[in-house]
Amino acid sequence: MKMGMVIDLEKCIGCRSCMVACKQHNAQPPQTWWNRVFTPGSHRHLTPPAKGVEFFLPVHCQHCENAPCEKVCPVGATYHAEDGAVLIDYERCIGCRYCMSACPYGVRQFNWEDPAKAHQRSEYQEQYHYGYPEDHRHEGRLVYMPLRPKGIVEKCTFCAQYRDKGELPACVRGCPGKARFVGDLDDPASEVSTMMKGRNAFTLLPEKGTKPTVFYLPPKAKEV
Amino acid sequence: FIGGGEVYAAEVERLVRSTCSPNCTGACGFKARVTNGRISTLIQAADYPEDSYNPRGCLRGLSMTDLIYGRDRLKYPLIRTGERGSGEFRRASWDEALDYAAGRLKEITGKYGPEAIGATIQVPGTGYVQKGALVALAGLARWTMHHGYDQNGDLPMFWPMTFGVQSEELESLEWINARTTMIFGSNVIQTRLPDAHHLLEAKRRGRVVVVDPDFCSTAAKADEWLPIKADTDAALALGMARIIIERKLYDAEFLRDFTDFPILVRQDNGKRLLAGEVADLAMEASTRNVPEYRRLFVISSGGVLRILDPENLAATGAELEGEFEVRLADGSSVKVHTVLTALKKVLADYDLDTVATITGLEAGQIERVAVDAATNTPIHIIYGASNYQWYNGDLKGRALSLLPVLTGSIGKSGAGISTYAGQYRIRFDLKSWWFPEGSQLNWVAYLHFLQGKGPNYPQHGIKAMVGAWGNPFDQHNMSNILKDRAASGELEFIMTTDFQMTTSCLWSDVVFPAPSWYEKHDLTATILHPYLQLQQPAIKPLFESRSELWIFRELAKRLNPEFEQHFFPELDDNEAALEVIEMLLANGGMETAGITLAMLQKGPVRLHSPAPGDRQVPFYEQVAHRKPFPPLSYPAPIKATGQFLRSGRIEFYKDEDLFITEGEQLPVHKETYADTEYKVNPQNRGRYTLRFVTKNSLYRVHSTHSNNSILLELQDNKAKVFLNPAEAAARGIVSGDLVQIHNDRGRTRAYAVLDPGCSAGTAIFEEGWWSRYLGGEGYNSLTFPWIKPLHEIYFVPGMWSPTTVWNECLVDVRRMSA
Repeated sequence: MKMGMVIDLEKCIGCRSCMVACKQHNAQPPQTWWNRVFTPGSHRHLTPPAKGVEFFLPVHCQHCENAPCEKVCPVGATYHAEDGAVLIDYERCIGCRYCMSACPYGVRQFNWEDPAKAHQRSEYQEQYHYGYPEDHRHEGRLVYMPLRPKGIVEKCTFCAQYRDKGELPACVRGCPGKARFVGDLDDPASEVSTMMKGRNAFTLLPEKGTKPTVFYLPPKAKEV
Repeated sequence: FIGGGEVYAAEVERLVRSTCSPNCTGACGFKARVTNGRISTLIQAADYPEDSYNPRGCLRGLSMTDLIYGRDRLKYPLIRTGERGSGEFRRASWDEALDYAAGRLKEITGKYGPEAIGATIQVPGTGYVQKGALVALAGLARWTMHHGYDQNGDLPMFWPMTFGVQSEELESLEWINARTTMIFGSNVIQTRLPDAHHLLEAKRRGRVVVVDPDFCSTAAKADEWLPIKADTDAALALGMARIIIERKLYDAEFLRDFTDFPILVRQDNGKRLLAGEVADLAMEASTRNVPEYRRLFVISSGGVLRILDPENLAATGAELEGEFEVRLADGSSVKVHTVLTALKKVLADYDLDTVATITGLEAGQIERVAVDAATNTPIHIIYGASNYQWYNGDLKGRALSLLPVLTGSIGKSGAGISTYAGQYRIRFDLKSWWFPEGSQLNWVAYLHFLQGKGPNYPQHGIKAMVGAWGNPFDQHNMSNILKDRAASGELEFIMTTDFQMTTSCLWSDVVFPAPSWYEKHDLTATILHPYLQLQQPAIKPLFESRSELWIFRELAKRLNPEFEQHFFPELDDNEAALEVIEMLLANGGMETAGITLAMLQKGPVRLHSPAPGDRQVPFYEQVAHRKPFPPLSYPAPIKATGQFLRSGRIEFYKDEDLFITEGEQLPVHKETYADTEYKVNPQNRGRYTLRFVTKNSLYRVHSTHSNNSILLELQDNKAKVFLNPAEAAARGIVSGDLVQIHNDRGRTRAYAVLDPGCSAGTAIFEEGWWSRYLGGEGYNSLTFPWIKPLHEIYFVPGMWSPTTVWNECLVDVRRMSA
């Protein structure tokens, strides 16, 4: 079993629903985004870099097989789960942030603030905060908390709390463009494996040798 | 607990299915996870029977908790203590606030009559129950009502002119059956997020062509983008129609049977020839019995003049083209020609070179796109508000309708012309709840309210506003008319019901806190996916908020105890809402036949339609079963809308006097701003050179979500104006500068974005910002409520009524600070 994700950039409409689904379901406080959608070549999303050119690129943890973040972690907090997902054990993370500088994709984020306080920057009524409401352990390790402690690093888990119940990650469920797919890359008959055939699937920054398990299908497909 | 949600094992947690339905009209099913009485997460329900519709929902719906629990949430009834607009209120009890509101409304009724009170509800399909409560009260109390279509000016007037209906559209699942999709002034990739994937599927199966002055996201996804000069689409459509006709690529049989093309028109006065005027037909005409709203027109078939039966669309074998000399009953004779012949004369002015000059497109491209479209049918046209909300938007819609009509792309799967803006179209018969016995509404078009005159405008004017589900003080304060009237006291009472402290609440005298759509029962049915769905309470109404049904019932009781009877006074408001849903379903007509509350509690149920599989395919019955046009537009009776198409067919030729004096019997291209900006001040030509485009933002549904902290973060918390880089450079503006957008009427502010896709002569502002984000300068202070007189020759509320021409607005931009 090797968990992987395929994102079809022809189907991606740049709507950022995945960003918001991810943020809401994983209780990310203001300024924290595990998932981002860009307009490549442009300094501003949804503004084309040039007349006649525009496509979109969602970027989150690439769940690399050869993950530099895992290698630099001095306490073994970042680890590969049995299905290939890269997770962070919040009970082990000491907040040294070596992983953040090692990650070439810039997707890891640090909790500078007490999380309950951070959520209240939005001035919600009566201490309200959103997100999957319970702590979640995967293989005994604490990989999700609705209020993460100050001083730890966090990032996309492929929604470990949902996958362990047999549900899809929030970004996949929340994508109105149906552009995101997860599945077993080891199984040649899986949806993710078959959809990549003949579509020139690519990964981000292949020259870094990280071997991501997030694959992209190029935009502008015409299947007439 | 009342509701159809799955019940989780733990009592503290459950899932409840409701329907997210702000004014995007998307009506997306969502599941709320409720933990300890609070909504912890939201995710698309993805429970529509056709998997293609799953998962409906977007970033706005996913972050709705930000509004439900947000800092602007209204908690208690409020009564104003400071100046209007100051935001100074005191907390009041429900009884006190309701008594106060009822007292003021009675006082105004006593002084000026009930029609001096104007109520608005916005799009009915997003909540037939709660919104119906206000409509019913307004009718019982005989208030004035502003139809939402009129209020927002979303009504594309070509619809009643050409097809006799309020508006129509394909459901998005039908998009994939088109072989040519042409999009004019609609950015569906950003504005119809849950449906956008159907457009990409249509592209895989056929061609998608986007015609837009700016390189929008939809243009980026298309096979081909035509960067047309703004507001010249009528010329393009007429040029394409000419090619289709010249090369005989049209569907002659369709034109003969379903359109007015064979009808004879008098060349002396421009009127359609009536059978009663013709010597050989007058006798026969006098014996024919047709409804009052129809007319007996004349065709030539096999060289003989015949009466065209407006109630029967059987094949006539009529000649589509020709000029004839006809002997009239008075002994004189007159020259006539068919509508198609008359159209060909108009099209003589739209040769390819002329059209290329007007539109700024290449002649070869126009020709190729026209031939491609006509030879790859069905054609589906998406006609967007940024194209039709112009003074001559009706002409563009009429001209564009020629493309599907000429090619017989009407009434069939994947065929036709659709408008998705506005969408006040009511999907079934709702009079059992909306229009109680004895109720009567005084309908006044919103532009007439703003202009202070017009049909049904009350003798003493509108002295009180009763608003809910809307934010007119940002979205409609055209030239600050509303704010001025509120400040001067001309508006004596303003009452608003909402769940958040919007700008309009700030300008109100009384504010009533209402629940969001996760806190009450309602019934929805809107566009793009024709499903009936419930809104169901996941949580109790927060703080002291109460459902609108309860609020208006309480108000009804205070205004006249007899009114209360209509609102199920013996039931609590939750039970009453469910009772209303059952009543609506039982009396909704063929569309809701057999559908019950219990079925809806299990999930969304498709409305019935005359088309196979209950698909939403406009005019299916007219074409497949040869039924006269127009089909019914709820809630108007057929005699109200039938008069728009007196021939019982699709009409391109209009002969009401004003159409003739305006030279618009048939669609033509007219110069932009000539009847608006340049007419009011000829100096504006060259003085204000940027057209002000207020497009929909990805991050808002009009003004809803303006204050969503999650979505604000995605926009750097800044309102923006998008400028062509050369235009910005000419004004010394660089990216990120704070700029003022101004004209003689008003001003607003935003941060400049240099956008290479933005055409020269354009300033694009993403609409919906509350004034507080714009330094208090509402962006609609720039716009103006122009009215095209042709839109006033009939008045059927929300159907034939003035379109607001938001786009007819010239501005300039200057740098304020870096």
